[in-house]
Amino acid sequence: MNGKTVTINSRELSLSNLDKDMYPPYGFTKTRLLEYYSLIAQFMLPFLEGRALTLKRYPQGVDRDFFFEKRCPQHRPAWMETAEVPYGEKKVITYCMANNLESLVWLGNLASIELHVPMAKADSPGNPDSMVFDLDPGDGAGVLDCARVALIVRDLLSGLKLESFAKTSGKKGLHVFVPLDPGKTTFQDTKTFSRAVAAIMQKKFPGLVTARMNKEYRRNKVFINWSQNDASKTMVCVYSLRAVEKPSVSFPVSWKDLEKTASQKDPGKFQVLAPEASALAEKKGGFYRELLGMKQRLPHTWA
Amino acid sequence: MMMQHGKAKAARSNGKKTESAPHEAPAQGIWSGTVSFSLVAIPVRLVKLVEPGRISLHLLHAKDFSPLERAMFCPEEEKIVPQEEIIRGFEIEPGKHVLITGEELESVSPERSRTIEITEFIDIKEVDALYYDHPYFLVPLKGGEKSYRLLAEAMHRTARAGVAKFVLDDREYLVVIMSRDGALAVSTLHYSDEILPENALAPAAEASEENVIKKTIQGMMTGFTPEKYSNDRREKLLSIINKKVKKRAEVEAPEPEEEEAAEGVADLMSALEKSMRATKKGT
Amino acid sequence: MASTLWIGNIQFGGISVPVKLHAAVSQDRVQFHLLHKTDRVRLRQQMICKLDKAPVPAGEQVKGFQVDERKYVLIDAEELEQAEPEASRTIDVHEFVKTGEIDPVFVEHVYYLEPDASQKAYGALAAALKDMDAQGVCTWVMRKRAYFGALQSAGHALRLNVLRYTDEIVQANSLGLESFELSEKEVGIGCELIQKLTVHFEPGKYGNEHQKKLRDMIEKKAHGQKIALFTPKHLKPTEPGTLLDALEKSLKGAA
Repeated sequence: MNGKTVTINSRELSLSNLDKDMYPPYGFTKTRLLEYYSLIAQFMLPFLEGRALTLKRYPQGVDRDFFFEKRCPQHRPAWMETAEVPYGEKKVITYCMANNLESLVWLGNLASIELHVPMAKADSPGNPDSMVFDLDPGDGAGVLDCARVALIVRDLLSGLKLESFAKTSGKKGLHVFVPLDPGKTTFQDTKTFSRAVAAIMQKKFPGLVTARMNKEYRRNKVFINWSQNDASKTMVCVYSLRAVEKPSVSFPVSWKDLEKTASQKDPGKFQVLAPEASALAEKKGGFYRELLGMKQRLPHTWA
Repeated sequence: MMMQHGKAKAARSNGKKTESAPHEAPAQGIWSGTVSFSLVAIPVRLVKLVEPGRISLHLLHAKDFSPLERAMFCPEEEKIVPQEEIIRGFEIEPGKHVLITGEELESVSPERSRTIEITEFIDIKEVDALYYDHPYFLVPLKGGEKSYRLLAEAMHRTARAGVAKFVLDDREYLVVIMSRDGALAVSTLHYSDEILPENALAPAAEASEENVIKKTIQGMMTGFTPEKYSNDRREKLLSIINKKVKKRAEVEAPEPEEEEAAEGVADLMSALEKSMRATKKGT
Repeated sequence: MASTLWIGNIQFGGISVPVKLHAAVSQDRVQFHLLHKTDRVRLRQQMICKLDKAPVPAGEQVKGFQVDERKYVLIDAEELEQAEPEASRTIDVHEFVKTGEIDPVFVEHVYYLEPDASQKAYGALAAALKDMDAQGVCTWVMRKRAYFGALQSAGHALRLNVLRYTDEIVQANSLGLESFELSEKEVGIGCELIQKLTVHFEPGKYGNEHQKKLRDMIEKKAHGQKIALFTPKHLKPTEPGTLLDALEKSLKGAA
């Protein structure tokens, strides 16, 4: 049984290549990928809703070729909601949006293992509703170093009365998000702010942090990638699968758990795999939802 | 895109160099309008039926790997010309052009530029494959779903296809509208005066070995299974790319210039310093 | 006679038929140049560096496969060459199928074949394909690209249809069309209407009138005459509730 037609919310979807192992030799087939996205949808959809998606598609599985797709395929179903968002100065791109389960499943069927979202919603692409610190460990550093940096960033932000939320990247890094009021925030604001934070972190913790993109500066350090705060950039969506060896996902981690895991020095605890993810999201992911609609303002935009 | 496709073909056949306008946003919906037959009007959008399996390689600037983009360039002023400053010109004698605006172009056949009007139906088997140019699917727009289904179903049951003409940009297309697995497909056709005669190629010759050939063909008769044939080049190129991706042999384009830090950053830095001191005390 | 595009050899089951490829279609359409509005200078298409905002000559361009935002894997000419098929002059016929089995949507382009040396084998093959109502499924390499096609008869001549690969054809079910309940009555009238409007396909009767009108318009403008402007009309969609009514009226009109 390699293809199948399913009806979701009275919309017919024909699913294909269902037996294909997407994570060989792990045995995580396309069927299981679709099951994963169906189960996680209730937790994930609020973070996808209204956002222009960038897809990372792996039609032959994660060990084979992939493509990076911004344009929503033309042969999309008529019901698929799309968003037209300016790209660069001259172009407008029609992106897919996943505002409901059937859209998410349809995208999964395209072997879109990873779903990436911009920091702003499509209806107001110049106004981010969050700021991100993308903590990326260089060679010789790891997720535990990221955790140390994340905790300092959290404290630094809370000194400025800003609440923040962390999730794993699903690979080796961590992402710290600061929810913001999009009506009062531009990318210029978030970029200026995050860059200043990265600069000051580098200054105070030169052995641990770098704010520079260049690979040679990243060795043994955590790169705080502030430049993700840009209209043209996307971050992997929370609960998205990652195209790594095992079907791991980008997963929320509470500050309490993060502190605990960091003190236990067990990097493996940061890894969440798809089969356990939806039960864990039910049990532990609730806090992350608070991020949505929390309209904070950056201090330098107070004036 | 249909327009560009037509131009590319024309350029191939008469050897003249042609240009197509730079991307007009939004470029993805190739065309949207109405398909009509008698008194029924169906709002539709044109989408691709063929997705060339080509791997898209981006052109980059060798010195810093910045991506390149196509733009119309004025050789006289040596500058990029924005879309609104571009106009079509028909060359009536070398270097002398008659300018034609978009509105004027649309006025040539206004009745055909928004509507594909099916005036008659034919048995699709009567159309030699030689006439087919480029196929597309039609997708119903809001409110057109039912009449779309009806036309598809009725054409399927009667094994008929609709014939129409419509105009896109500066071209008029002869098209057939067909039912295809419950959907409506449309294919542009070549005009008959564009089809070259074949009879000049091969005069009727006596055919002495025909029986041998027939026997050989008979022995090789089978069903058509196009899946057996695949584009090897694509696979080969992908595996080369994949090897390089594995080796992390990627290059990075530079960030566009960052503007100088905005005003008020000094305040921000001191606020951060203050917060940082408080944090350090705490830890 | 149109110019020869390529020379090759049809081969199957020990039979060899040397042929020359010719175009089967020729389009002559009004060509426009793109001009700069301000000074009427003819514009050229150029590749512009997004960062420098300046044209980049071909010698300074490299090709890259995008792997991430701003990240590329470079592919050089040598690697592109590795992916190229081996050069050959053979059109290999692998099997034969009944004409009509090949969906015309597969046909990308058509060439005529002219006999190159042996008139006899050529004529026999054309006649056999015609008699047997068969097409030869074949592959060949031309100008560094691998092609897949169907060989068929055309009058006394042979024709080569270049076919698209299966994975290039988008399936109708990927359009995700919603199903709609249709009444037998609506479909019945629709069918009747189609039957009434059915004619034989006579390609010769469809001329490119637009092309002529376009030339007339250019002529007028060249002589300084004003062009009347018309706005294209937009048809109002037929509401689902009034579909039956519209069909019945159409049928009356067609009768």
